[in-house]
Amino acid sequence: MTFKIIVFVKQVPDTDDIKWTEHNTIQREGLDSIINPYDVAAIELAKNVKFILKDCKILVVSMGPKQAENVLIEALAMGCDEAYLLCDKKFAGSDTLATAYVLSQFVKTQCSDFNLIVCGQQAIDGDTAQTPSSMAEKLGIPQVCNVTALKDIDLSSSVWIRDTNICTQQIKLSHPCLISTSLKNADILPDINGYIKAQTANVATLTAEDLSVDIDKIGIKGSPTQVKAAYRPVIERNTVVFESKDTDTITDFIISEINNCKV
Amino acid sequence: MTEKVLVYLEINNNKLEKVSKEIVSHSKHNFPDFEVIGLLLTDKADVSFLSEDISKLGLDKLFVAANNAFADFNSSLFANTVASYIGEICPDVLLMGATSDGRELAPRLASKLNIGLTADCTDLKIDENKTLLATRPTYGGKMMATIISKTKPSFATVRQGAFKFKPVSLVMPEIIYRNDDINGLTCYVDVISTNIKPEIEDWTTSDIIIAGGLGLKSKENFELIYNLCDLIGAKPAASRAAVELGWANQDIQVGQTGSSVAPKMYIAFGISGALQHMTGISNADKIIAVNIDENAPIMASADIAIPADAVTIIKSMIHKLSH
Repeated sequence: MTFKIIVFVKQVPDTDDIKWTEHNTIQREGLDSIINPYDVAAIELAKNVKFILKDCKILVVSMGPKQAENVLIEALAMGCDEAYLLCDKKFAGSDTLATAYVLSQFVKTQCSDFNLIVCGQQAIDGDTAQTPSSMAEKLGIPQVCNVTALKDIDLSSSVWIRDTNICTQQIKLSHPCLISTSLKNADILPDINGYIKAQTANVATLTAEDLSVDIDKIGIKGSPTQVKAAYRPVIERNTVVFESKDTDTITDFIISEINNCKV
Repeated sequence: MTEKVLVYLEINNNKLEKVSKEIVSHSKHNFPDFEVIGLLLTDKADVSFLSEDISKLGLDKLFVAANNAFADFNSSLFANTVASYIGEICPDVLLMGATSDGRELAPRLASKLNIGLTADCTDLKIDENKTLLATRPTYGGKMMATIISKTKPSFATVRQGAFKFKPVSLVMPEIIYRNDDINGLTCYVDVISTNIKPEIEDWTTSDIIIAGGLGLKSKENFELIYNLCDLIGAKPAASRAAVELGWANQDIQVGQTGSSVAPKMYIAFGISGALQHMTGISNADKIIAVNIDENAPIMASADIAIPADAVTIIKSMIHKLSH
């Protein structure tokens, strides 16, 4: 039986010019986008699995507007086998819980016989790191985050290296399971075959209806968190510019400030 | 009626995580109408090994769930356990540290309870309607977002260093210790091995932090920061740019992608002061910036801006302090 891996990817803005909608959610249309760097590392891990198990298919999935198709085509060129875009105006404004729900519905309705889900740990726009764990709970499967490497895998289970600021662990999970990686920016260059394949590949587009999602659980209405205010942080201090340019004077001043601080 | 805030207390290497203490302190001092309740999961037969820490927290009540299975972190098992306590305690606000484990556990728990979650908060307030206002940096610290939740409990994870831990005089809270049942565990995770990393001395709580950035021009110059710190009894830190160039280890990076610090004095040598750096030091009592570029952003957002060559000043200070 073919081993099925699902990799979820997100297109993220590649610009400082963030625009917000009247609902204080992000205006995604019209932004230049790249594939989230953590998700590139996830694709790399999925390819490692495929290299070992051989009979293996990698599905790459993204939820987003029509233009998110571009990151899926890029993922195909990197070596993924099938691409799915979850695209519906009803998804817009979904927070992490609502997003995890939609993604889990993809798994349940389109690929319930999956063996492994690989995610980037977080996206560089939100940095929340919530969607993978949230999805694992919705699917009722074991998970490990902070994964930095694949140690061992066969059809029924896999061993992963989990690396945190406190410890390094080897963790064994039975399949199906979910892992998310804290690596990013893996240098995967599209190979020529991947590039040719991607030129003609078909990205399947699926709507809320295709995924049998409950529309009360998605979009702005179905999201429990709301952005009440979004603003540029202001660092307010009454700055005093030191007048003297004399090195000795400056040195004495800083040393006296330090001594005052120590008292 | 008294509102309740439940704080999940994380233990690593038989010690309470610093961020857990910071969250309890913040709740105690800023949510006056709230009862502050702790919850910790342990594989130990009692919590005497934590007595000293616990007595300084100022908790009103502490729930201790004990089971051998809690020896290793397992997000599914821990989420199930915490969820059962939430059902019993019915907190209005639920908080935990945005540690590696916390960032894995919190979303799993939120998903189980179908509630909203705000990650990596740097500020928490309660408004006049007793609603939690959770503020977090987003877009790499370029924007701040204040998030409210339509669901109860309001749930947030908190960045280490966002708040200060203020110990209270020794008071033990009421402790409710239970041998916890873990029936219904389906998500099996097998920890084959664990290598604990050597503990790094916590530099983030130092009274004086001296940080260097690109303006130091080279790794050799950056190393002068260490000499200066030794002479003063301060701790060194670095900007992201200095870390990315390999001048300093990432462990001492300050800013959105590094640590948040709140020293009495923060001295920035040759740091431009990008927003993502400044948000990491916004709680410092006093910021002194030395930068040859008078137009660097930090020269308008420090307390004292000194337009001078950073390396020259550091060398001069080292010379004076060592003679």
